[in-house]
Amino acid sequence: MANMNLITAIIKPFKLDDVKNALQAHGIKGMTVSEASGFGRQRGHTEVYRGAEYTVELVPKVRLEVLVSSTDNDAVIDVIVKAASSGSIGDGKVWSVPVEQVVRVRTGEKGVDAL
Amino acid sequence: MGTRERRARSYSADARLASLFSEALLLIPIISGRDSLALAAIGGYGRGELSPGSDLDLLFLHNGNIPEADLTKAVEKILYPLWDSGFSVDHSVRTRSEVKEIADIDGRVALGLLDIRWVAGNRDLVDTVESVALLDWRKNGGRWISELRKYSHERSQRSGELAYLLEPDLKESRGGLRDITALRGIAKTDLVTVELDRVAKAESTLNNAREALHLVTGKSGDRLSFFEQDKVAELLGYKDADELMLNIAQSARTVDYLSETVFHRFDQYRPAPKLFSFKSRGSNQEKTEEIAKGVGIYQGEVRITGDLELDPSVLLRAAASAAQRGIPLSIDSCTLAKDKLISFPQPWPREAREDFVALLGAGNAMVQVWEALDQAELTQILIPEWNRIRSLPQRNALHRHTVDRHMVETALHASDLTRQVHRPDLLLVSALLHDMGKGLPGDHSITGAEIVKPILQRMGFPENDVSVVETLVMHHLLLSTVATRRDLDDPTTINSVCELISDPLTIELLHALSISDGQATGNTAWSSWKASLVADLVNRVKKQISGVGLPPQPEFSESEKDLAKSGQIHLSIIKRDEITELLIIAPDRPGLLSLVAGFLTINRLNVRSARTRTFANSAVMRWLVLPDVYAPDISESALKQSLTKALNGELDIAEKIKERVASYRSTSPIPVPPPIVEVIHDGATEATVLDVRSHDQMGLLYLLGKAVTESGVDVRAAIVSTLGAEACDSLYITEIDGRPLDPKRAAAVAQSIEQQLRANKI
Repeated sequence: MANMNLITAIIKPFKLDDVKNALQAHGIKGMTVSEASGFGRQRGHTEVYRGAEYTVELVPKVRLEVLVSSTDNDAVIDVIVKAASSGSIGDGKVWSVPVEQVVRVRTGEKGVDAL
Repeated sequence: MGTRERRARSYSADARLASLFSEALLLIPIISGRDSLALAAIGGYGRGELSPGSDLDLLFLHNGNIPEADLTKAVEKILYPLWDSGFSVDHSVRTRSEVKEIADIDGRVALGLLDIRWVAGNRDLVDTVESVALLDWRKNGGRWISELRKYSHERSQRSGELAYLLEPDLKESRGGLRDITALRGIAKTDLVTVELDRVAKAESTLNNAREALHLVTGKSGDRLSFFEQDKVAELLGYKDADELMLNIAQSARTVDYLSETVFHRFDQYRPAPKLFSFKSRGSNQEKTEEIAKGVGIYQGEVRITGDLELDPSVLLRAAASAAQRGIPLSIDSCTLAKDKLISFPQPWPREAREDFVALLGAGNAMVQVWEALDQAELTQILIPEWNRIRSLPQRNALHRHTVDRHMVETALHASDLTRQVHRPDLLLVSALLHDMGKGLPGDHSITGAEIVKPILQRMGFPENDVSVVETLVMHHLLLSTVATRRDLDDPTTINSVCELISDPLTIELLHALSISDGQATGNTAWSSWKASLVADLVNRVKKQISGVGLPPQPEFSESEKDLAKSGQIHLSIIKRDEITELLIIAPDRPGLLSLVAGFLTINRLNVRSARTRTFANSAVMRWLVLPDVYAPDISESALKQSLTKALNGELDIAEKIKERVASYRSTSPIPVPPPIVEVIHDGATEATVLDVRSHDQMGLLYLLGKAVTESGVDVRAAIVSTLGAEACDSLYITEIDGRPLDPKRAAAVAQSIEQQLRANKI
């Protein structure tokens, strides 16, 4: 019975600190952060910077992942959305999926105790 | 701690083994003979040095007459007490012929045998093994050296570089104890010179560190982990872990450098020609080939042949020559320079500055030459402030390298980006010095900018250039920080950057510096993800910084313009100092630039810079040239005669340039970024400028001028500069009849010229 969720957020890179602080203020103790690239309805830049090997069609973003209990799911999504918003296009998306099992490696704790 | 203690441990092990041996001997049947067995030490123990965690490397030698069961019992009689006492023993039991067989196959065994030492039993058995081992080693020296090189490479792949790792393996890492043993073995082949005394101190430092590590951990591992560095440092009497790691890093670098040099020497080695062969093989020649004033090539290395006291710039001339040819700078020349060169002239002569930039821009080849200079402590004669950051560790996970090596790596990456900037010389120098502020209290960007100013002034850079470099160092982290932490869509973000960096030259330099710094730090700090964010920021800043960035057309005096109006041909030599300045005025015509450039090249005058402009149907040109090394002095009148001939088409310039180029370079060139031709079009004035950036080579301007003329355009003004080994030329062009070019045509011309430059390797 799924009582945990994985919340994934794709946000603008410079918003990372704001979102991190907001989550910590909400009581979230851990998260995973990684570099990502992508596009949505905002297309990437079509200029090619002279001499560089990359064409910027994919826009750099940051991926943030947090494990939460289902009861907290909506509240945390709300926290992320508020902190990540800048009002301009390219702010990103947040979504959640149910999670079957979570284990803490060091202690072996399972389920909600491992969050 | 130290050699005495290690020797003492070795003696006591010898005594223990001797007594165990005499007991074991009683187990050998009398028929086999008491002298049928011997015990020898090899490897580190063979050299008579034992750290607490060292293995005992033992070789049991027998004459083949002992029954197997008795032999086994005898050997075990010795081994078990050792194992029980906690020794780690690496042993083998062999006859002499078996030893030879295995040594023939396995280089590591052969190497270990070179340190063989009798411990107990029949001396003859050990002596014969010793002499055969050395003979075989010498006989197959070439093969062993190649194998040692292979092992060394494998080790460095596995265990990294001792000089730069945060937690190195003192024995296995490159530049560590195993490499020292290998050097000793190479010395014994008698095939190449190995200056073992140079690594004596390094060996002592590393052995002491290893011994301390064993004492601290109580174990036999050789990896000096972060955790143990403080205790080891204390035990050895260093101020702190940083001082310990600094000494280890320097030792490792000395070992590594000597290994590189020795292997390079080996590559140059050819066996002596057979008795009746009259061909002497390539690099075994005895002659030194002179390549620049006071600089020669001998057996594949660049040497200083000139007088360092009279002409101190020869040091940088040699370094630049070596790096630009991709061959090493001789270790002997550097040692000699260290003795003879007490100080370097201040400010640096122009030529020395140019050579320094040429050295930095040479790419991979630069690293060895820089290391050669650094090993001989010449870098601190050139840049006294370098001493403080040499081998300075950066004790965080972000950086792979020590501060000095990181800056050298940054310069290395910058050499790939020289085409992206209009002042490659400033890029290279900033890259080399950008972290000079590290290791001092405060913000290292700000401190660095303060330190860099006197360095640049000492090198003789003009004030404008000094402040550009200061700005670059002060803000070398700006772009990365802003691009990842601030909203690029927000105008205040862009404005804040523009306030600090307000001109196109500096922003393009800063961009290239950020890329180089990031790449040199490694993929913890730089990735295409970050690169695209930074590029986005730079594009936005460039849009905001006003100005198209057209270089101003050169200015000339009224008298010069008057001479132009006369329509005569004029040539005068204005001053002969470090460099020769020529004023040339001639009636303008398509292809004039190429013609005059060719004329200068044929007369063995190398163009360093030029300013040209057309006034009233005549072109006024000011050229700065450097006469070729052994070119005879030409008088003004002789030059003018030659110029007149050239203008009348009486000199076959194309042919003569081909001859000069063919005789000039005999070694294959180092890889360099390809030439770039860009168009800048100013809508307001309708001026079109071609920006050409390329690696400097003989006859380049002649070639470029020809390509321009063949495209059907005319050069109205030109700004030609050679910065180190990079040529940066800006040409104001129009159609032949003087009309401005439209953008499409200009782009087509630029592309065609770029293709021609890339295809034409003169």
